[in-house]
Amino acid sequence: MSHLTDTKKDASYLVMGNEAIVRGAIEAGVNVASGYPGTPSSEIIESLSRVASERNLYVEWSVNEKVALEVAAAASFAQLRSLCAMKQNGVNVASDFLLHLVGSGTRGGFVLVTCDDPGALSSVNEGESRYFSRLMEIPLLEPGNFQEAKDMTKWAFELSEELKQIVVVRSVTRMSHASGNIRYGELPDIERKAEFKYSGFIFDPEEGVVISAPVDWKHQQQQAKVKRAMEIFENCPFNTYEGPDKPELLLITSSACYLYSKEAVNVLGIEDRVGILKLGTTWPLPPKLLAKNLSRTQKIMIVEEVLPFLEENVKILAAEMAAEIGVKTFYGKKDGTIPMTNELNPDLVISGLSKILGMEYVPVSAEYDQLAKLSAFVGAPARDQVFCPGCPHRASFLSIHNALELDGRKGFVCGDIGCYSMAVRPTGFETLKTLHSMGSGMGVASGFGKLGQFGMDQPILAVCGDSTFYHAVIPALVNAVHNKANITLVVLDNSGTAMTGFQPHPGLDYNVMGDEVPCIDVAKICSAIGARVEITDPFDLKGTREMLNNLIEDSNGVKVLIMRKACALSPQRKNKKDFEMRVDETICLGEECGCNRFCTRIFRCPGLVWNEKKKKAEIDQVICAGCGVCADICPQHAIVKEEVA
Amino acid sequence: MEEKVLNRGQQKVRSNVLDAGLCTGCGACINLCPYYQSYRGKTAVLFPCTIDEGRCFAYCPKIEVDLEELSQRLFGKPYDGSPLGSCQSVLMSKATDIIKGSKPQAGGTVSALMYYALKKGFIDGAVLMDRQGLLPVPHFVGDANDVLACSQSKYTAAPALAEVNQAVKDGYKNIGMVGTPCQVLSAAKMRMNPLMKEDFIDPFGLIIGLFCTWAIDYRLFEPFVIKKIDIDQIEKIDIPPPPAEILQIFGKNGEKLEIPLSEIRELVPKGCSYCVDMTSEFSDLSVGVMEGRPDMNTLIIRTDRARRLVYGAQEEGYLQVSEMPEENLEHLMWAAGNKKRKGLIKACDEGLINATEETNSYLKIRQDILNKLIA
Repeated sequence: MSHLTDTKKDASYLVMGNEAIVRGAIEAGVNVASGYPGTPSSEIIESLSRVASERNLYVEWSVNEKVALEVAAAASFAQLRSLCAMKQNGVNVASDFLLHLVGSGTRGGFVLVTCDDPGALSSVNEGESRYFSRLMEIPLLEPGNFQEAKDMTKWAFELSEELKQIVVVRSVTRMSHASGNIRYGELPDIERKAEFKYSGFIFDPEEGVVISAPVDWKHQQQQAKVKRAMEIFENCPFNTYEGPDKPELLLITSSACYLYSKEAVNVLGIEDRVGILKLGTTWPLPPKLLAKNLSRTQKIMIVEEVLPFLEENVKILAAEMAAEIGVKTFYGKKDGTIPMTNELNPDLVISGLSKILGMEYVPVSAEYDQLAKLSAFVGAPARDQVFCPGCPHRASFLSIHNALELDGRKGFVCGDIGCYSMAVRPTGFETLKTLHSMGSGMGVASGFGKLGQFGMDQPILAVCGDSTFYHAVIPALVNAVHNKANITLVVLDNSGTAMTGFQPHPGLDYNVMGDEVPCIDVAKICSAIGARVEITDPFDLKGTREMLNNLIEDSNGVKVLIMRKACALSPQRKNKKDFEMRVDETICLGEECGCNRFCTRIFRCPGLVWNEKKKKAEIDQVICAGCGVCADICPQHAIVKEEVA
Repeated sequence: MEEKVLNRGQQKVRSNVLDAGLCTGCGACINLCPYYQSYRGKTAVLFPCTIDEGRCFAYCPKIEVDLEELSQRLFGKPYDGSPLGSCQSVLMSKATDIIKGSKPQAGGTVSALMYYALKKGFIDGAVLMDRQGLLPVPHFVGDANDVLACSQSKYTAAPALAEVNQAVKDGYKNIGMVGTPCQVLSAAKMRMNPLMKEDFIDPFGLIIGLFCTWAIDYRLFEPFVIKKIDIDQIEKIDIPPPPAEILQIFGKNGEKLEIPLSEIRELVPKGCSYCVDMTSEFSDLSVGVMEGRPDMNTLIIRTDRARRLVYGAQEEGYLQVSEMPEENLEHLMWAAGNKKRKGLIKACDEGLINATEETNSYLKIRQDILNKLIA
């Protein structure tokens, strides 16, 4: 039994924020869960999949976030409770369906969990998903601690069912990935039967067809739901105030920023001067609650991540209620009290508070600060983001880089999101030259591939991972083939959604619940679409490079090269060395002409180490994955591989 | 004051040769390290190398070529700028039919001499040029009979020295090579132990230079030809001596394509226009097609070992050798002198001769000789 399904009364567990969300969903009796992997959201679907059989759930990793939302919506339409989880940019992918969904309304409780990543700790953007709630006119909840993450998720299902509308629960990395103690509630034992009713009158939300038209009428219904949510939020226990009745400054906050704010007030010892209004329901804002709290004082500070969402909405309400509550002075993102980008921390809140309150606050002495910076500069080794030892991407990008250099026509690679994004860095020989959303490398390449009539003669490549291929590359591939773009797509097939932790995808023959499922072959899809398809093993450096040059020189439309090798951390390769590696020091050329540390200066697998004293390369046996590729790049054959029996 | 360390490595080769468009793809920098590679006639730098003194620079025929030093070291006399370089004798020659199955171009002198040199053990192996479609591919051959497959003219620039470097790496110490003037020049630089290695051994047993007025850039030639003939079915390529002014491509099924040389000259790499050497002056012996006698070769003997080889081949019936008529010699000298003068003037105009910062020189040459040659 998972610790997430403990039925003991008042059981208390230390859980990750994402697990708290999962427990909340289980307590709400969730039936169906879907999502697409993305840090910091992935543990939600993974944890649910582990209790799937025990709690009779259906859990899937869908091909992308839009399909995930559609899959979960179906369950809601059939009167089941469903949850859909994704990271912030996933909401953008799902947003087209979301717009139509909010028009049609939902039936069984339906919760969209979005895990934002302020500071882009595991992202290439710090997109704000909260604005979608305002744009789509749907309720938004933001837990301010771990207990709330559970309780709010459970309540979100009930709210959704009451409103007949999807409800968004928004977490952030520091909420999803941090852990805290929570007290469990009861687990329900209601069995829900799935049935989709469609025979009622078109306006019947329970039994009519599920559709966003007639638009005017449906839109009015939708806005009535927002109004109803607003009324409910007026007395919602997730909105709390703590502090003096008439504080000098009112701090309004939500989510993880609540914890930073509490710490900041505590560190400064200004609990008697500052009141904190923590909002759990951040859209629509309850006006009466706001009026009451804004009336407490004249100075208002708003602390949130990332964009001034709360700030804008509070200011609008304050303007509307100015006659009642008086004119306020606002501090937040717009006036620069709080930075407009990146994630926050207690120090940033402290610095904002001390500025407003005219307090002197020096976190560390100037002398200490300077010493710390100096010792970090001198003492810390320079470390870049790198591919792991044994990673197939290093070999793949070496071949891509070399093929383009040999070709000599200034070719370039368009990329997207995955471990291979790091190919913009030296670890991938700085091969990627554009990097945007999932699948966009292929779409952008498709566009570049049509610029020949304007004189572009550079070879154009796109790369994508295997999971990304299914997620968003297929339409771009169809587009490129149909429009006769002259480009080469490299599918870096490492047998799983590696970056987020080996979640299965449609190319594999098992799913997240461990069932055997049909796998969808990348090569066959590409062939069927009409591309020339080749497959190589990226560890065969010569064969892969030659094939690439051959494809690049083939000016006949779209070519696809599938570079197939499982990730070094994948279940099938992890801790299994193909080769024992060693360096023959007697022939290692080191820094001399003929090598100049090619393995440690250019190839730079972390498993290769430069011994400064001996002026020779060495293998770090602890982290070497035994892939054997470095034996092939050593010009002197000084790196020796011996097959592991 | 601290002395400035001049880069004699990849950095300089990159800026002064590759980026400046002087490279003719001879291959001298290939197969020495993982940083350079030749692909379809072009030399590519795959990654930056930070070494200050590298063999790529030391062997490159387009950077710091000291003509005086080369002449002194290889021939024991000063460089005087004479059109054909240092000669012991200038002859006309022709292969006999003693070698079965041979189909060489013109007089067949190169094939006959390489065959003979390998057969008699003058050399352990030879770097020759084979052809795949239009692309010349250097080959290291250890057996005399393999010489015949490489016997035809190619006309496109090719990385012959890459194969030499590989043979040296593989331990060969007595290598034969056939090359164009730029290739022979880099071989000559190699022979001078430019990096002053204590354990240095001159790896060449015989260098046969070819006459060359220019080569064709493969990357330009291929798309030009591919529209006109199936390049996988090419039997032979030929430029008949003047006044024909055409390049001929013969297909295996009897097709024949004739392209005016005026069109071909558009495909010549820029690097060729700086060349001051028509007859591969720093070889052991040089061979070209004899003007007015397409069945014969002009043969220039420059060294003692070349003389021994030629006379041996003659005595044993591989080669017919005779005196060169005076008027042919005069015309050859005029043509070679003309190329030298044009190349020198162009290089001078661009500040590439005896440059103030020495690593910026393409050629180093005694000023009085230079003045005489470009006067």
